[in-house]
This record gives sequence, structure tokens and C-alpha cells, in this order.
Amino acid sequence: MINWTLYKRGIQGSWKMLLIFAAVITMYFTVIVSMFDPALGSALNEFAKAMPELMAIVGMNPASAELVSFMEAYLYGFIMLVFPMLFCILSANKLIARHVDRGSMTYLLSAPVKRETVAFTQMKVMVTGLFALVLYATLLGIVNCEISFPGELDIGKFILLNIGVLCLQLFIGSICFLCSCIFNDSKYAVGVGAGIPALGFIVQMIANAGEKLENAKFATFFTLFDSNGIIAGEPGAIWGMVVLFAGAITLFAVSTVVFSKKDLHI
Amino acid sequence: MGVCEIQSLTRDYGNGRGVFDLSFSINQSEVFGFLGPNGAGKTTTIRHLMGFLKPEKGYCTIGGKDCWKDSADIQKTLGYIPGEMVFFDDMTGTEFLDFMSKYRKTKSNGRTKELLDRFELDPRSKLKKMSKGMKQKVGIVTAFMHDPEVLILDEPTSGLDPLMQNRFIELVLEEKAKGKTILMSSHMFEEVERTCDRVAIIKNGRLAALDSVETLKAAQAKKYVITLENEDAAAAFAEEGLRISGVTHNQVTVIVQNNIKELISVMNRYPVINIITPNQSLEEIFMQYYGGDRS
Repeated sequence: MINWTLYKRGIQGSWKMLLIFAAVITMYFTVIVSMFDPALGSALNEFAKAMPELMAIVGMNPASAELVSFMEAYLYGFIMLVFPMLFCILSANKLIARHVDRGSMTYLLSAPVKRETVAFTQMKVMVTGLFALVLYATLLGIVNCEISFPGELDIGKFILLNIGVLCLQLFIGSICFLCSCIFNDSKYAVGVGAGIPALGFIVQMIANAGEKLENAKFATFFTLFDSNGIIAGEPGAIWGMVVLFAGAITLFAVSTVVFSKKDLHI
Repeated sequence: MGVCEIQSLTRDYGNGRGVFDLSFSINQSEVFGFLGPNGAGKTTTIRHLMGFLKPEKGYCTIGGKDCWKDSADIQKTLGYIPGEMVFFDDMTGTEFLDFMSKYRKTKSNGRTKELLDRFELDPRSKLKKMSKGMKQKVGIVTAFMHDPEVLILDEPTSGLDPLMQNRFIELVLEEKAKGKTILMSSHMFEEVERTCDRVAIIKNGRLAALDSVETLKAAQAKKYVITLENEDAAAAFAEEGLRISGVTHNQVTVIVQNNIKELISVMNRYPVINIITPNQSLEEIFMQYYGGDRS
């Protein structure tokens, strides 16, 4: 079901992009963690108090004095949503639709390798990249906190939070991948593949902004990733993670079937 | 039962484009020419054989296996030169050949080296920077390096210089002698004439002719260029009621289908200096099918 030569090639093609995302995440993590001040309330909390609406839109609510909640509020409401999402969009397009659009898919299919295997291998490449990115963020967060504030971070909760983000990103990735398998044209694959998650994200920002528009949260799958709930250990938040994960598996399976059955004008 | 069978293959793209009720079969160790103008349906047919497209009606098989359902299985012993060479840009030729042979799980043999030498190709530069001819050579090496039993070649010599075209023809003839079955689409009539046993001509997605190269050539109306003493004689000769395709100075070009005796009797009455039968190529036969005049 997996062609290792193709997998290796995919990883080689992704690592530069991963490095850039890792660098961006490193910068944000380092800066934000350094702003944490358990005694006085952080500078960011001052911002949040000064302009609550604006900060709420980007998912940054005033956090409690706990370090894990602080990180949840300032890193897992925007940074850890947007950057891995960008990775999914770019990666999914590059792995399938671009090859079909350009015509280089010809070579992948004029070999004794099933289409299912090609799709599954490329999916594994994307999932590996995503997993590496979230794993890196997790380790980075733990190391950063342990250096600056030894013993302050609830590591168990922090890991759970990252598993939650991974489930959400897998779901986003599966949407992008499905679009990459459906459309023969790169521009449609990116347009729709990026459009759906971006729209979902915008709706969430609207829902965050005001009480009147709060019901908008039922119109976006981002609601299933309830970072506050995960930290608080709410069962509903855990179920959200499970639903996202199951959704991702389903969409990946559908992608493989779609790619195997479709006509390719290459 | 041929190695490669196409049976009532139909795919309608609308506006008369596509392929319609196409049937033919290719025998073991046969080189089969597949001709037709751009947009006639050659590439569409090949895409079906490669398992890229699912037939709307009909089916095609290679080695008895269905081209759509068993494509990965068929690909084990199939070599393909696509009509358009698109590789992975960031690789060098060497990396690409290495990738393809590992991707196919081909056991390394001396074949790749032999092919590279034959086509004088140094694959170490980036694919992106390669000329059209070099890319074409990489494509040829990729198609032949795993020593396939069946070859599908979509305009295999486009971009190659005459010397390399010649080497390619030699390669095809060698493979044929080894018992390989080859389908070749081409615009290069010389390579078709030299390599193919039979030729199918496809027009607007339908089979317009299918016959041996010899028969197709024999069926062609013959052309004779007759040189007369002077222009007046030539002009009078042209008025004799023969099928004339052109008069230039003292030369008359006559087209003869079956009435060679009539031409001889007319020639007897005129001061004929010379008579030439220009070597007619498949290209001319081909053009006749499309009603186009080639001057």
C-alpha cells in the first residue's frame, strides 16, 4: 500500500517548507512564552484587557495565571491553527493536483504502482509533515517553558492540547487532500482546498467577536477543536477531537477512492 | 488474439471530438503505426491503453488484461513514451532515472547504461535545464530501461535530430526482432515506413484505414512527372483528358489510378523526353485521406 521510493521523494520535497514553518513557530513560541509573568499578569493580558474584542477575534482571551492556559490562549487560537493549515494547503496541492495539472503524474502511473498506492503514499507524506510540525511545536513548547519557568507547565494537558491541534489539522489536511484528488487543475484544488478551511476559520473569528454572532460557531468545524475545553478536561472537547480524527480518516479514504476512479487527461 | 486489443472503444468529448467505435488489434512482435492529424484521437486512445481513462463503451486489453482494471499489473511489462515530456523539475536526469527504476522496483541491469551510450546522453544536468531533445532522450531511456514486452510510443522522436531519429529506428527494429510488441504514433513518416508492419490511420476519432504499409502504399494513386520537348507540347498534353495535378514549364504531373495504358497511348503521340515516378511517401497517402493538398 505504500511505495517507499515515492515516500522518500515526498519527504525530500517537503523538508524545506517544513523548516520555514518550524522557524516561524519557533519565533512565536519563544517570544510569547517570554511574555508570561505568573506574578503580575503578562503584557499580553494587558492588551487583552485594553481591547478585548480585537484580541478575541484572533482567539486570544485573557488567560488565567496558569502557563498551559496562557499558551493555549496566545498560541493555540491563531498561530498553531494558521501555520499548519498553510502547510496542509501547500503540501496537498503539491503532492497530487500539481502532478496531474503539469502532467508529471504520467510517470507515477506508467509504472506497476496502483493509483491507490500513489494516493496513499502521498497522503502519508503530508501526514508525516503535519505530525512532525506538531511534534516539534510540542517539544519546543515544553523545552521553552522548562527553561524559562521550570515546573510551571502542566505537560500532560499541554500534550493533550497538541493532540487536539493535530486532530484538527489532520481534518483540514484531509479536506485539502480531497480537493487535490478531485480537481485536475491546480488552481481549483488550491482555491477550494484553501477556501473551505479559510472560510471555517473566518466564521470562527466572527463567532469569537461578539455575543450576538456567537451562534455562528455552529457553522464551522473549528468549533470541534475546543482548546479551552481540552485544558479544562471537558468530555465534550475530547469527543470533538475524536470526531475530527474520524472525519479526517473518512475524507482521506474518500480521496484515495476518488483518485483511483477518476479519468486522468495526462 | 493479439497482444493488444481495442474493441469498440468509445469516448465522446462532444463536438465530434473523442474516439468512436474504434477497434483494432496488434500482434506479438509487430510494430503498429498509429497515424492521424492532431486532435484525431491518438492520444485519447493511448490514454485508454495506459489506464488513465475509463472507456465509455468498449474495452481494451494488453496481454489479455483489462487496461482500466489491471493497469498496474500491465505496467510491469510495459514501456511508455508520453507525447509530452514533463518530469519532476528539481531532479537531474540521473536522479530521475534512478528514481524511476527504484519506483518500478526494477533490478539494475546494464540496460540503462547501454541506452545512454546509444543516444549519447549525459543525464547529469537538471531536467529543467535540458533541451527538448535531451528530455526526449531521457523519456526514451525511461521507457526502454526495464526491458518491457509491450511498448507504447507517442511521437517518440519529436525533438530528436536526424542522427538520433535513425538510432531510435534501429532500436525499435532490434526490439521487434526480439519479439516485442510496439504501438507507435508518429508524424515522422520515414520512421513509420521503416519500422511498421501495419498502419492504422485515425480521422475524427474513427478508423479511416488499417492495412499493411505495403498495401497502403500500393493503393495510392501513382504520380508520374512527364517532361516534354517544349511548353506548347506540355500544354497540349495537359488537355488530353488525363488527371493532371500540375503543369510547370515543360513538365506535366499526371495522376494514374488504373489507367496506365491510357497514359502510355497518349505519351506515344507526344515528344516525351523523360518520365519520373517520384517516391511517394506515406505522408502523401495520409494527406489523401484528409483531402488536403500537399504542394
